[in-house]
Amino acid sequence: MPLRGATCGFCGLLCDDLEIEVEGAALRPVRGACARSEAALAALGAVVDPVPRIAGQPASLDSALTAAAETLRCARRPVIGGLDVDVAGMRSALALAQRIGAVVDHAGGSIKYRNLHALQEFGAITTTFAEARNRADLVLLAGDGWWRRFPRFVERILAPTGAERRIVTLTALDPATRMTLPKQAEVLALDAPLVGLPAVCTMLHALVADRPVQATRLTGVSQPALQRCAEWLRAAKYGVIVWSAADFDWAHAELTVQAIAQLVRTLNATTRFAALPLAGNDADLTANAVQTWQAGVPLPASYANRSVDFDPKRYAWRDVLARGEADLLLWVSSLSAAAPPPVPGIPCVALTRADVGVGAAAHVQIPVATPGIDAAGHLLRSDKVITLRLPRLRESGLPAVSTVLDALLARLALTRC
Amino acid sequence: MLTRLAGARIVDPAHGAQEEVRDLYVRDGRIVDRPRDGERIDRTWDAAGTIAMAGAIDLHTHIGGGKVNIARGLLPELGRQHSLSATDVCGACTIGPAPSTLATGYRYAAMGYTACFEPAMQPVNARQAHMEMGDTPIVDKGAYAMLGNDDFLLRLLADGADRAVIRDYVAWTLHSTQAIGIKVVNAGGISAFKFNQRSLDVDEAHVHYGITPRTILRELARAVHDLGVPHPLHVHSSNLGVPGNVDSTLATIDAAEGLPIHLTHLQFHSYGTEGDRRFSSAAARIAEKVNASPNVSVDVGQIMFGQTVTASGDSMLQYRNARHGRPAKWVVMDIECDAGCGVVPFRYRDRDFVNALQWAIGLELFLLIRDPWRVFLTTDHPNGGPFTSYPHLIKLLMDGSFRKDVLARINPEAAAMTALGSLEREYSLQEIAIMTRAAPARILGLEDHGHLGAGAAANIVIYEPHPDPEVMFATPRWVFKDGELVAERGEVKAVPQGAIHTVKPDFDRGIERRLKTWFEQHHTQSLASFKIDDEEVCECGRAPRLAVHACRARSS
Ligand SMILES: [Zn+2]
Repeated sequence: MPLRGATCGFCGLLCDDLEIEVEGAALRPVRGACARSEAALAALGAVVDPVPRIAGQPASLDSALTAAAETLRCARRPVIGGLDVDVAGMRSALALAQRIGAVVDHAGGSIKYRNLHALQEFGAITTTFAEARNRADLVLLAGDGWWRRFPRFVERILAPTGAERRIVTLTALDPATRMTLPKQAEVLALDAPLVGLPAVCTMLHALVADRPVQATRLTGVSQPALQRCAEWLRAAKYGVIVWSAADFDWAHAELTVQAIAQLVRTLNATTRFAALPLAGNDADLTANAVQTWQAGVPLPASYANRSVDFDPKRYAWRDVLARGEADLLLWVSSLSAAAPPPVPGIPCVALTRADVGVGAAAHVQIPVATPGIDAAGHLLRSDKVITLRLPRLRESGLPAVSTVLDALLARLALTRC
Repeated sequence: MLTRLAGARIVDPAHGAQEEVRDLYVRDGRIVDRPRDGERIDRTWDAAGTIAMAGAIDLHTHIGGGKVNIARGLLPELGRQHSLSATDVCGACTIGPAPSTLATGYRYAAMGYTACFEPAMQPVNARQAHMEMGDTPIVDKGAYAMLGNDDFLLRLLADGADRAVIRDYVAWTLHSTQAIGIKVVNAGGISAFKFNQRSLDVDEAHVHYGITPRTILRELARAVHDLGVPHPLHVHSSNLGVPGNVDSTLATIDAAEGLPIHLTHLQFHSYGTEGDRRFSSAAARIAEKVNASPNVSVDVGQIMFGQTVTASGDSMLQYRNARHGRPAKWVVMDIECDAGCGVVPFRYRDRDFVNALQWAIGLELFLLIRDPWRVFLTTDHPNGGPFTSYPHLIKLLMDGSFRKDVLARINPEAAAMTALGSLEREYSLQEIAIMTRAAPARILGLEDHGHLGAGAAANIVIYEPHPDPEVMFATPRWVFKDGELVAERGEVKAVPQGAIHTVKPDFDRGIERRLKTWFEQHHTQSLASFKIDDEEVCECGRAPRLAVHACRARSS
């Protein structure tokens, strides 16, 4: 059975050390797969001959494209959502958005915007995986779910020897992940409740800036533990703070990110310290990066009226749909197992991962290639510097997202509504 | 397909200072001497009364790579203020201080530029840089890979590695990242900042590796030279923006030990410490040294008054200068044992003493450096100002009385501290054509660019003479890219994709064994993932072709 080297696109870490046995459609991970990739590989490997569907009925790709183009052609206020796609797919999605004047947003756009919003208000001092791996002598971990979303982060970035590390768990870590922390690391558990995280950051900020503070019930952490953490912060040669914005599921989460950024900036007055947000799942960074360079402004954006506009208050896709401002949803998805949300009253054209069923939610469904499985593709890694090429693993015959969207664009160019 | 451009005055300094009125012929995207016997002319463009030049080349403009994209994401409010509507051939986009890639391609082409070079491609970020350049339409592209702050090279130098090993590593980097040159930014300083060193002079030791910028500069200049890479080592000197940095800039020139080097955005490195404010122009000292050093070429990095954003690999100095930024938000990054970056918005004001003097220092350099073959017209886009200000800059160089008018309006203290008012030199059309066409093509090794001789790519710009050079250069009548009309009077007419320019010097692939181990021990991707091959770069860069330029290895 052929054993293939693979790069995994199912989280923002883009681990490129996987080995996978491929037999027909089946994909058996031999090395490097985490729980997330195992689940995705199993689901994709179990699919046999996915076919396009029109109104739930199997159809040829050609007739599905024709039906999709018909639906798109008459839309006045279309939304393009999903967008867990590779660079080529996003390039094609934007070309289509230009043509049909669509609102464009990533499925996880509002989560992605938490970090970006803080950046746009304040700025950031950040670092990347290899810097953290080789230099970080102090690592602060925050959040209650990043280990599920980025399963191999500890193994790949924190566990390899290099710097002798101290580790602070700002909020409680799950026991299984705690077990994987490097054995020789000194660990300080603040274990604040998640909602206390903003207060903990503010307190630490005050302590390292030599302002007197009283630990409050808000933080749920004892004063001596906070003091000890502040001492570690000051003593660090290269400190890193890690979080995943998806964990900050509360109103004005950008203020929490900003509190972190402020702490980091203050620490840099005397030592080196940097933020390392974990992101990039479902290609949210990829979608945003391509949009940002092509248009000069990030997501969410509108291409209505032959111009491009960025406005997170107006163009967040869920809000646009909820306000009834859209007359079509084009869902473009290739990495995620999520189906398009049902939106009563407007048609939906859905490009989906091969194993995803949409039922009656979509008028037209076209299963597409998953990057790194059925087609080669490029994705941006969590730290926003590295773009990796995910080679193709199997011959499934599924068309790439860019192929389908380019074909739609070509059909739209032929006629007008 | 044969096209004739009839009756333009030809300004083509690569073929001598003689200007003459003659017809140009283009066959299949290339300039030819004359039609073959009996060959039909398919189309004639009446260019009587106009001036023809080769397509302009910007050899230092930050058009691609992560840090420009950070700047776009940081400042959406500036992008939103400058929206470009879609046309039949152009997409909707914005053109703030960090313009979209689409707008960059459209505007460069409309201004008569047909090739642009990204000067600070970080090797680990090379794919994204090529992708951004790929979405920069019309113009040809190329990039310089950044070395000199990467832990691999610093460790080699600290261990006293053989020159051949360093040479192989430099060549391997050019191949693996698909670059046309090598740039060093604040040699050793970006790395030193990761070890909490806050400044690094040319002869100061890196706190961890113990080597000095002088060593890094010398060894990189040597490697680039020995490999026969046409473009000399591209150097962003130490101490960017620091008053008194004239000394480290002069030391940087000496560090090359006579080998070719290109000093970039020299304006930011030509500061003294005289006067009440401890900030003065050292342009005269720098220009004197450059004039006396035939191995040195420079680009100026002129600042232009207005809002812009600086995006530099120099994290150490960007962090240090961030407090001067406006609006007050900025990004600094340490990058992957490879490099760093800093993005800081700036608002240059003519009433501000420092900004006004920076403006004057840039112009002093332009006017005091005598050889137009060795000084290039840049604003270090977007760091000194956006590239769209080039026509205004050309007017400042060509029109002495206009220059004096502007000088009279800037901060009077600054005006009193510059020799600009006494510099009468006015650039000629020939000199502008040299510094924007012939010279950059020559220094990059682009044999078929920057001139209008037979065999050249048919990148031709037709200008209508105008008493105001800014008007003339802002909106040429016609711009042809590879023989195709791409812009007419400022309006984009066609949007082809440009080529990617690279070099591929010979080297010993044995270096990969060492690199593979290094990647396994320190990196977070494999060596195989890092490398970009020809097919992939053309896909990422949406390039119809890869233009590989010749290297002639030299022994030293
Ligand atoms: Zn520059």
